Amino acid sequence: MAPPRTKSHVTLWDPIVRITHWGVAGVVLTNALITKGGSVAHVSLGWGLMALLLLRTVWGVLGPTEARFSAFPPNPIAALRHLRDLVAGRVREYPSHNPAGALMVYAFWVALGLVVATGLVMTGGETPMQVAADKATVETGDWSALIKDSEGETSDQEDSGLRETAEEVHDVAANLLLFLAALHIAGVLIESRALRRNLVAPMLLGERRK
Amino acid sequence: MTLTPKLHTTGRRQTMALSLFLLVQTVGMVFYVGDVISDFRDNPESVHFIFEATVTTALVLGILFGTFALRRTIDLLQAQEQALDVARGALGAVIDRQFQDWALTPAERDVAFLALKGLDVAEIADLRGAAQGTVRAQLTRIYSKAGVSGRAQFAAFFVEDLLGEGVPGPEVPKTAAH
Repeated sequence: MAPPRTKSHVTLWDPIVRITHWGVAGVVLTNALITKGGSVAHVSLGWGLMALLLLRTVWGVLGPTEARFSAFPPNPIAALRHLRDLVAGRVREYPSHNPAGALMVYAFWVALGLVVATGLVMTGGETPMQVAADKATVETGDWSALIKDSEGETSDQEDSGLRETAEEVHDVAANLLLFLAALHIAGVLIESRALRRNLVAPMLLGERRK
Repeated sequence: MTLTPKLHTTGRRQTMALSLFLLVQTVGMVFYVGDVISDFRDNPESVHFIFEATVTTALVLGILFGTFALRRTIDLLQAQEQALDVARGALGAVIDRQFQDWALTPAERDVAFLALKGLDVAEIADLRGAAQGTVRAQLTRIYSKAGVSGRAQFAAFFVEDLLGEGVPGPEVPKTAAH
């Protein structure tokens, strides 16, 4: 008879956590490396990212214990302690993210929020449907769609200034996301080795028990 | 034992399907909300805007309820699994204690466990890398230590407690015997 399992760590993340995790990863990589900025595909994926982020945020309040924000509070001191323990070879299991991982999660959250928000500013909050419609009008030779909001020179100047800043922040945040992703993968590898168990499995299909 | 993993995967599949559905709804909602906001900027008094805003609000509420329902399903599944673990652990403890009372040797204990799990002599011999004759002899000793007539009675020894008193059969013979 198998000994009773100890529930000290997640053996399988719940479906919402898994779907949003891989969904965000997919969108970030696709939009950073494949789609062209400002294209309908890029904007659509960005809106999809907004949905994923929203769903995960709601889930952080309404979801099961391990998925909730209360399970992984941002705590830099605990994170440092965890890293020191890791270097010293002392590892322990946490019911949710470990404190260093939790900080990573929040960094991701902020960077993703920035990317989405600046993206919205850059497109003037237009939905992908409108972006597509605008592009179609321009295709037909009607360039008026490009100078839609010309209400006054001052607001126009402010607008373009804001958009330029947004563009800068958008680029920086996107690069930050790629950097964080690399750091995240390194962290998972190191932690997996230290804990002697596969940390990726619970994010995919979970541990198979016989 | 064969039933629980099935239950487990069914539960998993169900929550996965619910989650995917929730995601599709959320994506739809985000696009709708964006559309409503741009309509609002165009003309907040149009019937189009009012109608679409109402529909979108309903969608948002539906998603919130869906999220809540999903969380409850996940909690329920986890509670069921935990209850099952407790029951399994409790039964394991009862069996262990009984084996000790009967003063079974470690080897006999292993064989007795496998027998309880429903393996036949050949399978037990295979698993333990022993001759079938040895296993048969061990089983005979186990049955005699337990004071049961054979395999069926041996298994019934532990199941009996779980069944409670609901044995309707004996009452008729009892009155007939008197």
